[in-house]
Order: sequence, then C-alpha cells, then structure tokens
Amino acid sequence: MEPVLIVTDLVQKVGKKTVLNGVSFTVHAGERFGLFGVKGAGKTTLLHILAGVDRFTSGSVETLGYDVRKSGAFKKHTGLVTQKRSLFEDLNTYENLDFIAALKCVDKDNIFSVIDRLELREYLNKPVKSLEAGVYQRLSVACALLNDPDLLIADELINGIDIYSRHIILKELERFLSNGGTCVRGYSDIRFCEQMCRVGWLEGGKITLYTPVEAIEQWDRQIQALSCQNGTDDD
Amino acid sequence: MAIMGREFTYMWRDRELRNILLVGPLLGLLLFYATYSVQALTDIPTAVADLDRSTASRELTDYIGSAENLNIVACPNSFEEVEELIKKGKIVVGVVIPENYGKNVSLRRQARVEMIVDGSNMIYATNATGAVLSVTRSVGAKAGVQSLIAKGVHPDQAIGAYQSISFREEPWFNPTLNYAYFVVLALALNFWQQCCTIAACMNIIGETGVGSWRQLKAAGVSKLRLFFCKSAIQICTFMLIVCPIYALSFTVFKLPVHCSFGELFLFNLAFVIALHSVGTLASSIAPNAVDATRFGMIVALPSFIVSGYTWPLEAMPGFVQQLAKIVPHTWFFQGINYLTFKNPGWHFMVHFYLAFFLIAVACYGAATIFTCRK
Amino acid sequence: MRQVFNIAYYETLHIMKDKVLTLLIIFVPLFYAFLCGAVYVSGVLTGIPLGVVDLDHSRLSREVVFAFENSPRFKIITEVDTYPLLEEGMKTGAIRAGVLIPEDFEKKAARNSGAEVLTVYDGSNLLWGYNIRKYTMEVVNQFHSNHAAAYMAGMGLNRHEIYDILDTVSLNVDVWYNPTFNYATFMLLGIMMMVIHQICLLAVGITVTREKERNCWIQYLASAAAPWKIFLGKSLPYFTTNCLNYGLLIWFNYCFIHVKTGGSLFLIILLGLLYAIIITGTGFFISLHAPNSLLVTRYLMLLSVPFFIISGYTWPQTHIPDLVNILARALPFTWMAEGFRLVALKNLNLPYLVPNMLALSVMAILSLFLALTFTKQRKPPADTGVFDLKNDC
Repeated sequence: MEPVLIVTDLVQKVGKKTVLNGVSFTVHAGERFGLFGVKGAGKTTLLHILAGVDRFTSGSVETLGYDVRKSGAFKKHTGLVTQKRSLFEDLNTYENLDFIAALKCVDKDNIFSVIDRLELREYLNKPVKSLEAGVYQRLSVACALLNDPDLLIADELINGIDIYSRHIILKELERFLSNGGTCVRGYSDIRFCEQMCRVGWLEGGKITLYTPVEAIEQWDRQIQALSCQNGTDDD
Repeated sequence: MAIMGREFTYMWRDRELRNILLVGPLLGLLLFYATYSVQALTDIPTAVADLDRSTASRELTDYIGSAENLNIVACPNSFEEVEELIKKGKIVVGVVIPENYGKNVSLRRQARVEMIVDGSNMIYATNATGAVLSVTRSVGAKAGVQSLIAKGVHPDQAIGAYQSISFREEPWFNPTLNYAYFVVLALALNFWQQCCTIAACMNIIGETGVGSWRQLKAAGVSKLRLFFCKSAIQICTFMLIVCPIYALSFTVFKLPVHCSFGELFLFNLAFVIALHSVGTLASSIAPNAVDATRFGMIVALPSFIVSGYTWPLEAMPGFVQQLAKIVPHTWFFQGINYLTFKNPGWHFMVHFYLAFFLIAVACYGAATIFTCRK
Repeated sequence: MRQVFNIAYYETLHIMKDKVLTLLIIFVPLFYAFLCGAVYVSGVLTGIPLGVVDLDHSRLSREVVFAFENSPRFKIITEVDTYPLLEEGMKTGAIRAGVLIPEDFEKKAARNSGAEVLTVYDGSNLLWGYNIRKYTMEVVNQFHSNHAAAYMAGMGLNRHEIYDILDTVSLNVDVWYNPTFNYATFMLLGIMMMVIHQICLLAVGITVTREKERNCWIQYLASAAAPWKIFLGKSLPYFTTNCLNYGLLIWFNYCFIHVKTGGSLFLIILLGLLYAIIITGTGFFISLHAPNSLLVTRYLMLLSVPFFIISGYTWPQTHIPDLVNILARALPFTWMAEGFRLVALKNLNLPYLVPNMLALSVMAILSLFLALTFTKQRKPPADTGVFDLKNDC
C-alpha cells in the first residue's frame, strides 16, 4: 500500500514551548489512523500541520505525495473537521455548505448529496449559531466531505455529542472508508482506539505507535500504576 | 482600592493600549513639531521673468527679492515658463515684467506688470498675496511720486500725496505669525485625545465583554463602585500622559503659554472627565470592544475640524455651531487657544467648565442607564 | 472567476450581518462629507468683527474708518470704541481685528510728520491672522490710492492726469486656481481623500482578523482555493464600495458645497482606482498579519491626523524638513491628495501628474503583490494564556 502521509522529524515550537519534538510516522491508504493524547498533548497542532493549515518549525510532512511546505495542491483531496468551531457563525446551514463548496470549487450536486447523507435537510435555514452540538458536528463533517476527499483529518469527531448524530457520522465514516478513503482522527478518549487500525500516542512532544489493543493495555497499565501508587501512599 | 489596582494592571497588560497611551501622544508631538519646525511661512518661492532687462526692471526685481517673505528662486525668460513653473508647483508667485517696461516708466507711460499667485494652497496663497500687495503699494507709490515730481510738483508735496499716512500692522498674541505656535500643541492634544478615547471606550465593554464580568456580578461588587474606581484610574492615567506633552511643548519647544500651569491642569482635568464620559457612553452602547472603538472614532476623528480651532466656529452655519457645542472637544480646543494665547480670565472660562460638567453628567447618566440593562 | 464572485458574495453577506460595519462603510463617509462640508460651506471669512478706536474724530480719521466700513470683509462692532475695550474684546474673541487712530492724526498728516494708523489682528488663530492681514492690505491699498487721488485733485490736477499718475506702474495681481480664496475648495478635497482612506482601511483591515477570531480562517486555509482568489473575492466588496464612495463624495462636494472640481474625468477615475487598489491591498495585507480586529481598529484610527499633517497638503512641503518629507512620500495619501489637487483644482493633464501616477502605480503593484501572494499557512496560534478580547455579549 502506498503511503498517504509521511511525517519525518517534525518539530513545532509555539512561542517558547516545544509542542512537537521530532515526530515521525507514516499513514497508508485506506487506513484508520488514531492520534491519541490527553488535552494539550499537541494533537490539534499536529493535525493542523497535516492539513497544511499551520507552519511548522522543522522536519518534513508529505501529504498525498506533496510536500506541504511547497504545494497546497493536496488540499483538493483532503477534508478537515476541527475541534474548535470553525464554521461561519453569522451564516445559516445551507449558506455554510454553499460557501465552503465555493471555496473548495465543487459542484452544487455534492452539496445536496452530503445534506442527504448527514440528514441536514431540516436545518438548512437555521443559523449555525443556534445548532446543537451534534447537528453542528454533522454539518462540519458534511463540509469536510464536500469535495469527496481521499484523506479525512478529524479532530475530536464524535466526542460528547448525541447518540443519533454519532451514529450518522460513524455510518458516513464507514462509507467514506469503504470507498477507499483514509482517515486520521485525533481524540482524547481511549475507548475510541477500538475503531482504529493503528494508534499514535502523543505524549511530551513524541509519538509512540501501538495497535489498538496495545494502546488500551498501555492506558490500563498507567491507571493501575497510579492506583498502586495511591494504595502505597494510603498505607 | 483593589479594583483600582486591578484596573491599572488591566490597562498595563493590554499591550497595544499601553503602547498607544505611552508612546502615541509623545510621538505625535514630535512628528508635528518636526513638520512645523520652520515655524513661519517665509521664503515663498517666487519667479521673476524680466523680459525688459533695463535698469528700471532690475530695480523692480531687486525690490521684489527684498520684499518680506518672497524669495526669488528662478528667473525664467517668458510668460509661458512662469506658467509652467506654477503648474509644476515649483513657484507660488510669478512676476512678469513686460518688454519696454523701463522705457515706459521713463516716458511716464503706463507700464503693466503681471503678478500671478498660485491659489491652490491657501496657506501659501494668503501669505503670498499679502506680500505681493505690500510690494504693489510701495512700487505704485514710488512711481507715483516720481511722476508727480516730473510734472513739476514739489518733492515734499509729491511725497505727501502718497506717504502722509502710514499703516502699521501688529498681530497680537502671536506677533511673528508663527504657525507652529498655532497648531503644534493643538494637534498633539488632538492626537492625545484620540488615544484617550480608545482607552475610554474600553471602560464598560472591557468588563462586560469578558468572562470575568460574570464573576464580578456573582461576587456582588457594586457596579457603581466598580466603574467609579475604574474611571478614576483611567482619568488619572490620561492626565498623567498629558503632562509630558505640556512639559515638552513649553520647555523644550518653547511654545507660548499665557496662563498658569494650575489653570491649564484644571481645565485639562475637566475636559478629561467629559471626554471619558463620552468614551464610557460609547462603550456602554456597543456590543463589543471593536464597535466601541469605532463609535469613539466616529466622534473623535472629525472633532478637531468641527471644534473651530482652525476654520473658525463663527464662520460655520448655525446648526453646525450648535452641534459642535455638544461635543467636549470643541470647548477644549477653543479653551486651549484662549488659555495659551490670551488668558481671558476666570469669568470667561466658567462657561467652558459648565459645558464640561453638563456633558459629563449627561453621558455618564446615559451610560449608567444602558449598563444597568446588561 | 465563479469562485471569486462566490467569495465576494459571501463577504458581502458578512458585511451586511455586521450592522456597525455596514454603517461604517455606507453612511459614515457620507456623514463625514456632510459634516465637513457644512463646516466649510461658507468658504470665505467675511463679516470679521472689527473694533475701531478713533481718538481723533477728524475728517481724515473718518475717511480711514469709512474705508474699513466699505470693505465687505469687515463688520465694525460699534460697542468697542476705547482701547481697553479693544484689548478686552480681542481677549474674549468678541472682535478679531482692531483699528487704532491716534489723537492729532489729521494734523500730523497735514504736516507730513508721521501720521500712523495702527491695525491689530488676532494671531492666535492663523486663519483669522492670515486672512485679516490680507484683507487689511487690500483696504489700505484702496485707501492709499483714494487718498492720493483726492490729494492730487486738491493740487488742481484733472481726473485724467490723476489716473495716469496713479497707474504709472500698474501691478496686476492675478490669483489662479482658487481666486476667491475659498477654504472649502482648499481643504475639503484633502479631507475627503482622508475619509476614504480611513473608512476603507478600517473596513478591509478586519476582513481576515474577523475570520481568525471566529476560527473560520481555517476553512480558507484548509481549502485548495488559491490565495489570489481569496484576496480578490474578499476585497472586491470593499474595493467596490471604496470606488462608489470616492465618486459619491466628490459629487456631494461638487454639488452641495460647490467645491471646484474640474480636470480630466479620466485622470480622476484613474487616480481613484489606483488609490482604491492600494488601500484594499494594504488593508488586506495588514489584516492577514494582525492578530485581532481591535488592534487593527485602534492603530488605524490613529493614522489619519499624522498622515494628513505630514503630507504637505496644508503646510507646504517646501517648509517641511526632508526627513518628514521622505516619510510622507512613502504614504499613498500624500501622492493622492497632491495628484487630485493637480487634476481637480489646477486642471492639469497627464504630463504634470507623471510622478504621482508613477508613485501610486508602484504602490498599487506592491500592495497587490503582497496581498496576492500570501502563504496559506499561518503562524501557529498560541492558544493559551492570551488576553482575548474577542467577545459577543
């Protein structure tokens, strides 16, 4: 399988703080790659670099065969779902889809297709400001999928949303993957590891690669170690 | 006290605001002083096209050259060249002495000299016209006296016809017509006033706009006390940053001041309170800090023009005069002019204080009503 | 191109949903034009309050007073008739000029022994000062020739002879471009250029910072849309309103304030377009690099006064130190205000505007280059511990 993402020795400094300190990994086509880390571990920073949104200090990142520093052409084939709300709050649902479709230079047909798939029809005239978290997330995914991307970069895709929206989004994700898409997901809830092929664990600016099972075991080990420590303290 | 301290750190931590308040007004003063460092408009570029080249015409040229404020920079050879120089803006006054000028003068025939003034810049044009008019008067008189003498009139009598009465002019309050005296301080204060407006516009929105507003509300701090303390610290800051402007203006740049410093300080304080009330009002009605700044800007930017500091209030239509009197800036700039140049005394300045007081009461009152609704 | 128009359409929607911004770019320029127009509408200082202190009360002194009375520029305030009152009046601004005729004035004049009239005027406001000085000169010149004519008539010369003598050397003063010394014609064009400069810069200056604050800028960055398309789309509404405002303000001043506006329409349009390009380009560039809207608004609003003062639009460039001039030459307003005056007021054609056009073109190209070629990768935002003023109540 050809690699979709090749990250080598990536270093990112924000202000005086080194957020990523020599991160290297590869993601292959069709893979579900999970990026796990607690809050502030640098998931969002890394995902934004992969999407070509942020500059970085050193290292190299190759997305879909393009060096992200040299070309933005790969953005035609990527979709990004951000953790922090990033849709246009002063516009309504349809206007958001229409505008982002214009930015991505895609046909109107695609808009109606994603509206149906993510069941957004009844919200089209509602201002984005007033949408519930679950519907908002569906809209974010819809916007990211407008251009039928090959690579979906999602930051906290289904964290803390209602079950129905979660179901729709996961169903859509399955569809996307079965059509040959690749997905990189960042999350801070260890349970989501089960949905991945591989997990990259971000901690202290470094990445460690695990299988999902290993990652969960590692998590449990840490929990156990902590409770043991507490136990000895109690004694 | 704690609130005052908090407000001070708050202003200090807002780095842009700090830069604007500390550096802005002084930088403005320096820039304006540098711009007007020549101070008076002398040496108006003049060209004399002497097409005659006779003794008489040379005399006239010399006379123009020695006239107050005119400075001959070019000696073109034709009317067209003079025209060209004026179009290019190289000269402001152009004089064309026609051929046969000397001959005509000596034969007592009429000799016409053309003088052109570029009217596109009024500051230049009024000064240049003044200078040119004084030249025409003396040259005309001189030629007239000579004609009379040639007609056999006794020289004393001839001079009497023209020079028995002299007019002496005396510009009061600014004897050298120094432009720097006139505008530098006012412009610097205008700049200072804009900087203060930016800060004052943060008064309420700076609190209600950020999350800590809820905390303050929850803590049950009285709004009145909160804003009183905030305002006091802001007003003190504004007064503090105006001091170096005055100090620099009066000591280093030697701009004139005819009232006591105490008086000036008091007047300034009254204005600052009124200005602050306007800023507070803007900040109470705006939905966010950017809009508050915009509202402040809409008032602060044209205020100098409307204040009548340059183009006089008396020359504006009635309704503009009334409008101008609503904003404190008008009273301030008028008052500053009176204080620094004339010092007309307390009974005259009382109106100004009264105006500041009324404006402050109205604006603070309105701001209170708007804020209580939030 | 469709993409550009789509972006432009949505930018317009954003503008319309921000009511204060809409107000700012549509009504504020007109409001300023109206306000400043009203301030300067009279254009010429007339009816200047003049105090006359005549201590001589003779025929000759009345002749002097009459000369001032006759001038349409002055209005004699009869209450002021003693020197202390004159002094007081000058201090309180009740009068702006005064004429003082000493005792024994007529006698001295008859004896040719230094009869002197003192004219005083208020130098604290140089608009009064300069104008009164000029007006006084005019009155005095007129008085002198009348007086000389009367004197010669007394000597028995006939009218023709007197005329010849008075006109031996006639110096004809011709004021070009603004012969009535209309202050509105002088100031308003420059002020309008400043209004356009400020309003457009303030509006376009937050086009990107606003998106950054709402985190929407990420949508632009994550899409494959080319930077130049984003710039064109986002700045098109501002560019258009800028051009419309430019035309509107010129028209308003011309029709209602009667500001002299002549010259080639083509050049006026060309100047306006270049100016609009520079402002929108620079504004966009500033917005790209500024961290937030508040900062942009604060700094930009402070620019107007210094830019106007150092430009040499009022106080002439020849009397400004080189250092300040160099600084002023780097700003588009300086070239634009001067260029516009050359066309509209002086009615000059292209050859005289070459330096201005050249400078503005270079600036336009530079600002376009900067705005068109931005990298679509931002500096990573430091998202903790930032004093964030972005808020919605």
